[in-house]
Amino acid sequence: MPEAATAPKPGTPPQATLNSALDARGAGGEPLAVLRERAREAFDTLELPYWRRSGFWQTSFTNLDMATLGPITREADSTAVPQIVSGRANAGVLVQRDASVVHVELDAELAERGVILCSLEEAAIQHTELFERYFMRRLLLDRDKLEAASAAFWSGGAFLYVPPGLSIEDPFQIVYEIGAAGSAQYAHTLAIVDRTAEIRLREYDLAGATFDGDALHAGQFELYLEDGARCRLAQLTDWSDGHVSDASTSVVEVGRDAYCHWLPALLGGHLIHHHDELVVAGKGGDMAFRGLLFSEAQEHLDVFAVDLHETGPSGGDVHWRGAATGSSRASFEGLIKINQGAQQSHTYLQFHSMMLSADAKLDAIPSVLVGADDVSASHGGTVGELDEHLIFYMQSRGLTRPQAVRVIVEGFFEPLIVQLEDEQLEAAVRSRIGAKLAAAAADIERYALAR
Amino acid sequence: MVPQLEIRNLHVRTEDREILRGVDLTVRRGELHALMGPNGSGKSTLANTIMGHPSYEVTEGEILFEGDNILELEPHERAKLGLFLAFQYPVAIPGVSVANFLRMAINARREEPIKMKEFAEQLTRAVDLLDVDRSFTSRHLNEGFSGGEKKRAEVLQMAMLAPEIAVLDETDSGLDIDALRTVAEGVRKLHEDQGLGVLIITHYQRILDYVKPAFVHVMMDGRIVLDGGPELVERLEREGYDRIREEVAARA
Repeated sequence: MPEAATAPKPGTPPQATLNSALDARGAGGEPLAVLRERAREAFDTLELPYWRRSGFWQTSFTNLDMATLGPITREADSTAVPQIVSGRANAGVLVQRDASVVHVELDAELAERGVILCSLEEAAIQHTELFERYFMRRLLLDRDKLEAASAAFWSGGAFLYVPPGLSIEDPFQIVYEIGAAGSAQYAHTLAIVDRTAEIRLREYDLAGATFDGDALHAGQFELYLEDGARCRLAQLTDWSDGHVSDASTSVVEVGRDAYCHWLPALLGGHLIHHHDELVVAGKGGDMAFRGLLFSEAQEHLDVFAVDLHETGPSGGDVHWRGAATGSSRASFEGLIKINQGAQQSHTYLQFHSMMLSADAKLDAIPSVLVGADDVSASHGGTVGELDEHLIFYMQSRGLTRPQAVRVIVEGFFEPLIVQLEDEQLEAAVRSRIGAKLAAAAADIERYALAR
Repeated sequence: MVPQLEIRNLHVRTEDREILRGVDLTVRRGELHALMGPNGSGKSTLANTIMGHPSYEVTEGEILFEGDNILELEPHERAKLGLFLAFQYPVAIPGVSVANFLRMAINARREEPIKMKEFAEQLTRAVDLLDVDRSFTSRHLNEGFSGGEKKRAEVLQMAMLAPEIAVLDETDSGLDIDALRTVAEGVRKLHEDQGLGVLIITHYQRILDYVKPAFVHVMMDGRIVLDGGPELVERLEREGYDRIREEVAARA
């Protein structure tokens, strides 16, 4: 084990907390202890996953050496709030560092009005009724070894409950940080927005420090929007230069007349596979599913995005954008699925890509499965490269070539970035894109000259 | 005094053919020139080559700016020296507003970024000069612009960047009479008030009703075949390019 704080956090140590929560049941009625045991068995039996991609490459976690990875417990730390969410008005903040929740803060007035923000471990004990109604309602635990690991070994975790009718302007911020090599972070977020409540929710997956060596993030995220609830959800994944392998699943369930605007931004990671699923489960439910991904150097980003309509009338609108530099690999697989009987579902999926290197690969794989006849479902997209006319135009006004490239790539992502409706987060995303472009400047130039 | 822009025996080719075959032209600060010629005579090639477009290869000759050869300079370096090209077909820059683009362009040629107040004042003056609505500057540059709006945006940039020498490539094409008048008026004022040197490239005399060039050049088949004053515009109007072509052929 690397030099890590292994002392339990003040109060009850995480594992002890979880042990006393094992009687709580999941949404399927099974006690947590049984769920974890089942997941544990799946973990022991299943192989590390890989996903075939078009062409001659795959997203593979088979090289991961699980024996070298383990949970690292951390002590409570009120200074743990990272810069990206600090110095601003927040409804609440929860920070998990490696295997432990190290900091939770919640606006006092909101707490009084019934909002709950705490670790998931604590929720299983203190808020058993809510926990048992929702926990693992939409998530699976045995499709592959890393999903099973997350379900079997999660610790800490985040739990958010917003009672009916509340409309909260400031965002809830949930942060998962990996601080050291050897860390296996099994994250789990459960969030519930009750009837007609309205919130903004952010999740950040970040490298909290620079470290040498492998780490693992296997996350599960579930968000339930009850009838008429509204949520703007943004997830920022940026493991920076850290050698983090990240295999995570997120599911958002949109209830009757509810609405979700969901924007994952994948801006850095050694190896990432995200399965993101937006389920319109109630009549009149509507969603906007946005996303951006930008891979550089040797990075490998892989997204499977699902736009599922279980009932109609319902609305959907999926719009993702991706760019790739260096010899990175990125893949976006988008699936529209309209279930039998989900009449009057209307949805559209588009993916736009921009190639910035001859050695990078960026694939878009859209598909549509429709089980009803009175629906509209289609997809589209574009594949772009840097437009030399645009570059010359900007150069003629005094911008250098790298400046012009940055304007083009930022402009490419900008229609999505502005939808974050959050200045601080928007600035962070823009600056990260700028930094990635600067790092790849020589490569981009080479590619332009070779064309 | 050394002329700002001097073109000597310029030969230019693209991948498949030679387009300019020995062009000589001198533009000094404060002078107003018109370069006229039929379609395909090489006018736009000259404009793009002056600005350093990478698709045009200079095989012979020089372009001097204040006495120094600038052929090895990148387009942005030429811009910083004080050259400006108003494009025939301005391109849209997605996601960037007119104002933001202008600020970037101004800052690209300064050590310290321009103060917001100073920028706002400059922008107000330029907007007034070109008779455009202030809201124009918060739209994305050239995205969904009409032909007239694009050309106004070009001259607006010219006003803001205050170059020494501006080349206007067919800035009059596709404009209705009102837009043409506004654009021409803007060019004339910049010329008169700031001493801007201008090379107007056109194949109609229309714009020259509003901006009166002291020097007129006629280009055909990659060469300048006639130099003269304003009277040349009237002659072209009267006789057309074919007469001149015959005359040049006879002279050769």
